[in-house]
Amino acid sequence: MRATVASLLRGIDRYNPENLATLERYVQLQAQENTYDIEANLAVLKLYQFNPNFYQTDIAALILLKALTNLPHTDFILCKCLIDSNRLNEMPISRILELAEDLETCNFQRFWEELRDIEMIGAVTGFEDSIRKFVCHVVAATFQTIELEKLQELLGSITDNQAQQWANKYGWTLNNEGVVFVTNQEENIKTKNITEKITFESVAAIMASSR
Amino acid sequence: MSGMWANSEIEADYDPYAYYGGSEYETHTGDPRQDLEYERQYQSSYIVPEVIKNFLLFTQKCINEQNLFEVQNCYENGFNKLTDRFFKNSPWPEAEVIAPIVGNDQVFLILYKELYYRHVYARVQNGPSLEQRFESYYNYCNLFNYILNADGPVPLELPNQWLWDIIDEFIYQFQSFTMYRSKLGKKSEDEIEFLRTNPKIWNVHSVLNVLHSLVEKSNINRQLEVYANGGECFFVCLFFLFFFSFTHCSHNLINICFWHIFLQQNLYSRVPTCQMTTFYYVGFAYLMMRRYQDAIRTFSNILLYIQRTKQMFQSRTQLYDQITKNNDKMYTLLAICLVLHPMRIDESVHSQLREKYADKMLRMQKSDLQEFETCFSFACPKFLSPVPPNYDALADSFPKEPFKLQLRVFLEEVQQQIQIPTIRSYLKLYTTLPISKLAAFMDEVSLLYQDGWSHHKMKNLVWTKGTSGLEGEFQSASEVDFYIDGDMIHIADTKVARRYGDFFIRQIHKFDEITRTLQQATY
Repeated sequence: MRATVASLLRGIDRYNPENLATLERYVQLQAQENTYDIEANLAVLKLYQFNPNFYQTDIAALILLKALTNLPHTDFILCKCLIDSNRLNEMPISRILELAEDLETCNFQRFWEELRDIEMIGAVTGFEDSIRKFVCHVVAATFQTIELEKLQELLGSITDNQAQQWANKYGWTLNNEGVVFVTNQEENIKTKNITEKITFESVAAIMASSR
Repeated sequence: MSGMWANSEIEADYDPYAYYGGSEYETHTGDPRQDLEYERQYQSSYIVPEVIKNFLLFTQKCINEQNLFEVQNCYENGFNKLTDRFFKNSPWPEAEVIAPIVGNDQVFLILYKELYYRHVYARVQNGPSLEQRFESYYNYCNLFNYILNADGPVPLELPNQWLWDIIDEFIYQFQSFTMYRSKLGKKSEDEIEFLRTNPKIWNVHSVLNVLHSLVEKSNINRQLEVYANGGECFFVCLFFLFFFSFTHCSHNLINICFWHIFLQQNLYSRVPTCQMTTFYYVGFAYLMMRRYQDAIRTFSNILLYIQRTKQMFQSRTQLYDQITKNNDKMYTLLAICLVLHPMRIDESVHSQLREKYADKMLRMQKSDLQEFETCFSFACPKFLSPVPPNYDALADSFPKEPFKLQLRVFLEEVQQQIQIPTIRSYLKLYTTLPISKLAAFMDEVSLLYQDGWSHHKMKNLVWTKGTSGLEGEFQSASEVDFYIDGDMIHIADTKVARRYGDFFIRQIHKFDEITRTLQQATY
């Protein structure tokens, strides 16, 4: 499927509205099978932009949710830019935008609360786990140690067991006092002096021309 | 059309030829359009002076002989000089008048018309009429058909600057038409009817088609690989910048891996406007994608280049104005980037920035959203709506809608990170800092967030994320980095030594370029 779609997106065919049906099916497929193809999704949104009559809220919403699963990359902004602003105010798109804002500002507690109200989530396989992956990314970048309770909360009130699994996955260790040791940040983050390095590529051109 | 009627009636009253009576008077047919046409023709054939004739013939000869140097001279100097002398605010003679002079040379006529309409767009008062917009479009179609439908390479070589200008103008006219189309309020019913019945003109798909075909035709990818400095190189960047200005598909733009090659290699290319536009769009794309470090690098590179080469263009007024305008826009964007992501940049660019934009930056640092909005509106490219407006609803169909959307996305983004500079400034003062203490500081600054914890995490995230994501790699390049251990924030300061390498590399390149120019000149 991916290859077929890729061939549809080449050249001017990208703007052919006749392909829309295939591409929409592909979006749904991505949601069911937990795969992701930003190129195809952006093409769908672009086609909606060119042919406003074909616009389908459900598909657009799915694309936005899929973009959220790819945080911390900025796919969501790209998608947002392709949707008309009055459509951004419609349900359920507006709700998804709120979710995105919570995630971007790391307001995870609120995110999990609001998530409960959105029914569409069920349609996106592995949505919650993708988000948890993102949360772990943030935690790993920020904390040296974090209380287990806090971690559970951030990951959407998961059980001890699940928390243990996530911790294992990232190689975090849990000590007896209920504190998770994330990573030794002292190693990575320290005062440093950066001195200049010149790569060979940047001087290659000069050397070639002055031969 | 009613307006036209009125006009020609008034003209008829004062018609100077009326006094001569006879045949000339009778050629007024009563059809205002024909009359107007006639008058235009009459006037222009009347005033085609020898100088112009000679100029056209000479240009034609140079083009046919493929004498690039002379063609460039005609294009850059001759045409502009004659424009200033004869056609400051009025159009050049119509192509029909020129045709007999140049012996109906079709290719030359197409090129001439291209210049003719470009001049109409730029200089003639009241701008182009609807007909002129349409005719100009057809002329472009002819030109592109000529280039694209040939089997082999077309035996037509033009100076790079001209090639670039053709594409640039093509896109400009498309933008202009889109804007014009969306302003329905001031149009008469006839005009609207005309637009409605001609949906194919300046249609998004055909425009895109042309650009796609040009890219295919010019074999950009291969050319860039071997770094052929062929004129057609420019098509590629234009193509992408077009895409971008159109609907903000920055993803496509950046996703192209070879643009890097393009930017590095072509830094000293011979078409300054092309280069500037490319950097401008690439930088803007980075800005919107939140890759500030890349954006800053892009902007400061080109700004430095402009700063050092600006004098060279002082003699070419039009070009100089364009460069100055672009320059201001890019400084503004750079200011935005640096507020959101402070880092060290080249000294001379920095001092310029301090000189001109210190106030703006200060206001932005103080979280003045209004200032962000002003700067963004000033510096952003034009955004277009790809679909024609609803011709039945007579009100203006929000020509600004696409722009507003981009502005909204941008401001929401800014809002999310507006607090970061403040926090950063606090953190810079410490090596370790309890969270409770920072919370106390912050609450003075804003009571926006009730939950101290989530508040701080917000900063952390955007901070780690706000930094560069070059090739999918997240690196924190900010001057301050930190981590949280229990209740304590540990802060690490980064000191960056001054960079000399870039400076010397650039100087060597520049020197090389000068030597080459000198050699060419002596030759």
